[in-house]
Amino acid sequence: MYDEFDSRALRRTDCFGQRFMKAGTYRYGVFPANGQHLSLERPFAIKVDEARPGQRMKQHTVTLSVVKGGFKPDKPEITIEAGDMVVWNCPEKAMTPYAVVGDKEFFASSRLVNECGYSHAFGLPGDYHWVDAFGGPVQGVVRVRDPGVKTKDDLEKWRQTLAQGTVVMIDDQQAKPREIEIFVGQTVFFAVTKSAGLSITDERLLETRK
Amino acid sequence: MAEITAAVDEQGANKLLDAAIAAIGTQVKSGSGSLGPFVANYTISGTLTNGDVDLIPPSTIRIVDLRLDWQIDFSFGIDLSDILPDFCLPQVCIDIPCVGEVCTPKICIDWPTISVPISFGDFLKTTADFEVVASLVGGDWIVSIKILGVPNLQFGATTAALLAAIGLAVTPILLAIPFLGPFLAIAVNAILAAIGIAGLTGFLGPIITPFVSGLTFQIYKQPKNFEVLPAAGAFDPAVDITIDALAAVVANSGEDELILTADVSP
Repeated sequence: MYDEFDSRALRRTDCFGQRFMKAGTYRYGVFPANGQHLSLERPFAIKVDEARPGQRMKQHTVTLSVVKGGFKPDKPEITIEAGDMVVWNCPEKAMTPYAVVGDKEFFASSRLVNECGYSHAFGLPGDYHWVDAFGGPVQGVVRVRDPGVKTKDDLEKWRQTLAQGTVVMIDDQQAKPREIEIFVGQTVFFAVTKSAGLSITDERLLETRK
Repeated sequence: MAEITAAVDEQGANKLLDAAIAAIGTQVKSGSGSLGPFVANYTISGTLTNGDVDLIPPSTIRIVDLRLDWQIDFSFGIDLSDILPDFCLPQVCIDIPCVGEVCTPKICIDWPTISVPISFGDFLKTTADFEVVASLVGGDWIVSIKILGVPNLQFGATTAALLAAIGLAVTPILLAIPFLGPFLAIAVNAILAAIGIAGLTGFLGPIITPFVSGLTFQIYKQPKNFEVLPAAGAFDPAVDITIDALAAVVANSGEDELILTADVSP
C-alpha cells in the first residue's frame, strides 16, 4: 500500500475547498481523477448570493457518495454567500480517486487556481517532496514522523495530536512554509491564494509516470 | 519347513531401511487448515531420513530418531477490522490567514484485509515401531514394514519459532498500511495471541503427522514365479520356481535379526 498524495486525484482522507468570491451560479461535476474531459455535464451547482455586509466567511461541507456511474453530493445544489467556502470530501471505502471540476476556470480540484485549498491526512511516515505537476516552480516538503507509539499513553498522546492541522500558504511562486514536519495521521491544508493553476503532487508519482 | 531363509542383522536392516526410506523421496501436499481463527492455505514438503534400527523379536522394527525435514509455505488472511479498534481522524480546524477557519470533516478509516505469506522449515525426530508384513500383490511377493500407531510428534520449540516468524512476516505488511503504524504493537500482539501456540499445534499437527502416520516402506520385492537357471540348450530348459509362501519375522539367534523364509515349489 502507498499513501498517494496528489491534489489532482482526491482520496478518502483528502478534502478540496473552494471559495466563491462573486455572486452567480457555478455548476460542477465530480469525476474519476483525470476523467473530467469525458463529459461536459456539470450536474451540480453552487448558487452564490451577494454577501451581506459584515458577514464573515462560512464553510459549507459537501459529502460525496459513490453511486453507479460516479459520485453524488449529499447536497446537489447549495446556496451560499459570496466569500464562503465549500469543502468536498468522499469518506466512502469504495471510492476511487476523483476530481471536483467546475464550469469556470478557477474552480477545479484538478488545477488549483485561487482562493482554494487541498488537505491531506498523511498515513505513512516519510519525506514527501511535493511539486506542481503542471511545471510551476512552487514546491515543498512534508516530513511525516512516526510518533513512536509504544504504550497506551503514547497512543492517547498521538491521538490528541491528530486534531492539530498545519497550513501551507501557496501562491504562484512559493509555499510558506516550504518545509513542515508532522506526525503520522496529521492533516496539512494547502491554501492556494493566487496562481495560474497548480497541483500539489508527490514528486514520486511523477517519477513513476515518466 | 522353509526352503529358503535369508537373514539380516541390525546393521544390515539399517542399510535396507536407509535405501527404502530414501526411495520415498520428498513428498508434497497442499490444502487448507485452521490457524487459530484464520484459514491458511498451505503447501508442505517432507523428506524422511532413517534413524537407528532396533530389531525387537518377535515382529517389531523400531526406528529411533526417524527424522522428518519439512518446509511449509502458507498464507492466511486477516480482516484487520476484526482485531483493531475503529479509527477516525478527528475534525481538523485550521485558521487560514485573511480567510478564516476551515475544518475538515471527521474521516473514519476502514482497516483492510491483509494476506500474510509465511515460509518456514524445521525438522522433527520421532521413535516409531513398525511391523513386518509379507503379502502377495499381483504376481509379486512384497515385504514391507508398516508403522504401528501414530507417533506423538512434539512441536514445542517449532511453534515458538513459527510464531516469531509470523510476527516478523506480518510487521512489514502492517507498516505499509496508512495510519496503522501507531497501532502496530496492538495489531501484532492481537494476531499472535489469536493464533497462539495451540493454534499452531492444531495447524501443524494434522498437516505433518500424515508424513509419519501410516508410513509403509517396501523393503523387498520378488516375483512369485521366477527363473533360477536359464536354458542351456534344446534339452536343458530354464528352471523356474514358485514362491508359495513368504514370511518375515524378527528373531534372536544370538543377535537380533530380520529373517525372511520362503516355501518354494518347481
